[in-house]
Amino acid sequence: MSRKKLATVWLGGCSGCHMSLLDIDERILEVAKLADIVKCPVVDGKELPEVDITLVEGAVTSDEHLEEILHIRKQSKILVALGDCAVMTNVTGMRNYFELDDCLNTAYKTAISNDGQGEMPASPFVMHLNQKVVPLQEVVHVDHVIPGCPPDANTIFYVLSELLNNRIPDLSDVKKLHYG
Amino acid sequence: MTTITIQVNGKQLATEPDKTILEVCRANDIEILTMCHLKGVMDVGACRLCLVEIEGINKLLSACTTKVAANMVIRTDTERIKKYQRITTELFFAERNHVCSVCVANGKCELQQLGYKVGMDHIRYPFLYPKCELDSSHAWYVIDHNRCIMCTRCVRVCNEVEGAHNWDVMNRGTQVRVISDFNSPWGESVTCTSCGKCVHACPTGAIWPKAIVQGQLEKKPGIINELVEKRKMKL
Amino acid sequence: MNRQDLQLLTDQAKEKKNSCKHTICVCCGASCISSGSEEVLKKLEEEIKSRGLENEVAVIPTGCMGPCNQGPLVKYMPENTIYQKVDCDNIARVVQSQLIDKKPIEDLLLFADSREKPFLNAEEDPFFKKQLKVALLDCGDINPETIEDYFTRDGYKALSDVLFRMSPEDVIAEIKHSRIRGRGGAGYPTGMKWETVYKYVSDQKYVICNGDEGDPGAFMDRSVLEGNPHRVLEGMAIAGYAVGASKGYAYIRGEYPLAIKRFELAIKQARKNGLIGNNILGTNFSFDVDVRIGAGAFVCGEETALIASIEGKRGTPKPRPPFPAESGLWGHPTLINNVETFAGIVPILNKGGEWYSEIGTPKSAGTKVFALAGKINYSGLIEVPMGTTLREIVFDIGGGIQGGGTFKAAQTGGPSGGCIPAEHLDVKMDYEALVNLGSIMGSGGLIVMDQQSDMVDVARYFMEFCMDESCGKCVPCRVGTKMMHDLLHKICAGNGTRIDLDRLEELAVYVKETSLCGLGGSAPNPLLSTLRHFRQEYESRITTPGVKKELQPQS
Repeated sequence: MSRKKLATVWLGGCSGCHMSLLDIDERILEVAKLADIVKCPVVDGKELPEVDITLVEGAVTSDEHLEEILHIRKQSKILVALGDCAVMTNVTGMRNYFELDDCLNTAYKTAISNDGQGEMPASPFVMHLNQKVVPLQEVVHVDHVIPGCPPDANTIFYVLSELLNNRIPDLSDVKKLHYG
Repeated sequence: MTTITIQVNGKQLATEPDKTILEVCRANDIEILTMCHLKGVMDVGACRLCLVEIEGINKLLSACTTKVAANMVIRTDTERIKKYQRITTELFFAERNHVCSVCVANGKCELQQLGYKVGMDHIRYPFLYPKCELDSSHAWYVIDHNRCIMCTRCVRVCNEVEGAHNWDVMNRGTQVRVISDFNSPWGESVTCTSCGKCVHACPTGAIWPKAIVQGQLEKKPGIINELVEKRKMKL
Repeated sequence: MNRQDLQLLTDQAKEKKNSCKHTICVCCGASCISSGSEEVLKKLEEEIKSRGLENEVAVIPTGCMGPCNQGPLVKYMPENTIYQKVDCDNIARVVQSQLIDKKPIEDLLLFADSREKPFLNAEEDPFFKKQLKVALLDCGDINPETIEDYFTRDGYKALSDVLFRMSPEDVIAEIKHSRIRGRGGAGYPTGMKWETVYKYVSDQKYVICNGDEGDPGAFMDRSVLEGNPHRVLEGMAIAGYAVGASKGYAYIRGEYPLAIKRFELAIKQARKNGLIGNNILGTNFSFDVDVRIGAGAFVCGEETALIASIEGKRGTPKPRPPFPAESGLWGHPTLINNVETFAGIVPILNKGGEWYSEIGTPKSAGTKVFALAGKINYSGLIEVPMGTTLREIVFDIGGGIQGGGTFKAAQTGGPSGGCIPAEHLDVKMDYEALVNLGSIMGSGGLIVMDQQSDMVDVARYFMEFCMDESCGKCVPCRVGTKMMHDLLHKICAGNGTRIDLDRLEELAVYVKETSLCGLGGSAPNPLLSTLRHFRQEYESRITTPGVKKELQPQS
């Protein structure tokens, strides 16, 4: 069996899903037997080559995320939404019930911690937030999901090992499902 | 007492007439999913999770409101019913703002459990993200409409068991909201007795005591029926 | 009042009517009033008075005559000559030529602007010729605000006959024999419903008349209540006798102030004459009726929601069983029928169930009132025998499509119904035939659409209506209609995908099968029927070019 290429990406999330990924502990060696991790926030891969499996943490919150996820979709044979934010926007989506400008104002200007000195970042290099946060499935086709906040390390390993062994993971089991 | 026989999922069951399909199934360990049903208060058949197929009737009927009849042939486990239960669950999640990870009921929520039971790994429908209020004006309790699924268990328990009728429902369609009195802050209610029955009746984290933090909510919906039964005994 | 008194009153009323050589009927239905018929009525009365003709010419306001978009309408009897779009300025001229010179002014006659030669006797016009009035009988001929005018048409004779000559069982047998089915839309056999209520033993039963007509574009019940309220009241009293009820409620929507006014007036007049109330016509039978005014929620047309509304509760439906026949208003056995059904009871008893059962098709007896609207030349109120083809209704009665356009579809049953495309123009309209085409008879709204109509948008419009009117009690209807609406909106805007369309179809079947009441249960019908007959319009809207289904977003 040829070795697979595995990537993990971090969009609009808190990195908790990646922490949980690391919680698979020594089982990472089993993953390493079957796949090369070619891009991951913790291994410093800059470009995303064509890969077999990409785990994506976080929701799509900005123009940059949108561009990235479309690119990821093109490069990946299998795209897995990792964690509640990627699957159902979760905490990231909580700003959807407010106006974006109100959120930015609160964060950068009016929040007490700004001591009345806050100002909106205006650099052209800063990404632009979209009006609404959306889960991955609203912009691209998602092949598999691992819900949970964070997702359980055992479930992450289960899905990974199924995919790496060319099997289809099935989460429709009370024991494997978990949100929140 | 007369005994009748019904068939559920191919199994013959002996039961008394005048019982609902739900009661008979639960008594015989046949699982039927429910959200709006709460033992001790009237059933309204609103969540549509307990729909069953009955031979000879071309409509799906809610098990909680339909009485058994002799020789009824019932199925609770068909693919069609499972599919509809999953859609209903997804619609529950998509309708309001259910963020499990920051919810007081996380891990003890009936809606979460429902999601696991129907095998819902993601929600196929776009989230509606409605603007919902949170009312913390009551001295001890909070109602967060973001997490409300409109099962109206609080409304019924307040009306039927406590007799206060603080809660009712306003508006139509997705705009429906549970309201205190005539839509005034809960803390200003003239009818609320602060008995806390609605807290235990609520299946999600929509109504909770202020002293509770994320994931620490313990609800005892069973106490409602216990109370009703004990009152009947006139202890 | 006893039976002889009623006979005496009837004779007197008829004599008075016959003493007038002419009757001028001015349509005072809501649509003619909105185009100024009340002023026409006043001017006509003045004109007749100034000519000193008031003893031989009676001028009366009436209910709807039918061709509503040609109003104000004025009908000269006994010639049956109808003038359309009557203008206060030429009233004198018309009276002169019609009554004195006996030379009707052809240019002003009904349909004069669209027919080569208008008919002097309106009954000969195809608009009326293909119609058969049963529920609408006398509507447009009598003054709905006086009980005397109703007496001239043997008013309350049926009630009197029933009370003195028939047992409740006989009445039910006659109704069953007539094969009349509920005109509210579902088409449940009326006789069977009456029998069911009759059989339940209870010291209190109720009769409810459902006048909460909420379909956009439907105005059958309104017209019947406005044009002949006593007929409905008499029908309710007969139903009360048959099922053993002593109290009736007429639930009329608040948007119909004129119907409410006239029905309340009818109740008052009937009560004064001892035709409802205690010991009707000296018998042991007592039956009284009250009006309850609906606040405009579409769902309150659903029987269990309507009952909750009468009880003073929030108007939301309850699961059935138990049906209202077993446990209805305040838990008592309740008979609930539509206005049009009650309006059909008196003719059935006067002329016999056999007569009624011979009209219509084998499975759907009798006649049906339709409210014609949309891109049709003559919109208005019509009543035709069941089994009349859609083509006859649209082209013979309705005069075809406006501006010479082509017929695309007819929408029946409002937001609960569906669309019938041109290839089914020859469908014989009855309950079963419409269901087979994916539509329903509904309460009788019939909206005609021409080639410019966008069927996806039609589905979206009706879905929006259902979404707004969903009571919010059950999940499928509350959230499902919202999701379907959003998906339809997306497709209409050209942003829909193949997956959206698949999801829409899945939701439609789900909402139809799982909703608590008929509102949700039928809300997907306009969508499902346009998908069935006009699928290509959906297909052409969704974005597909070059994108594999697997790679499209999932929602």
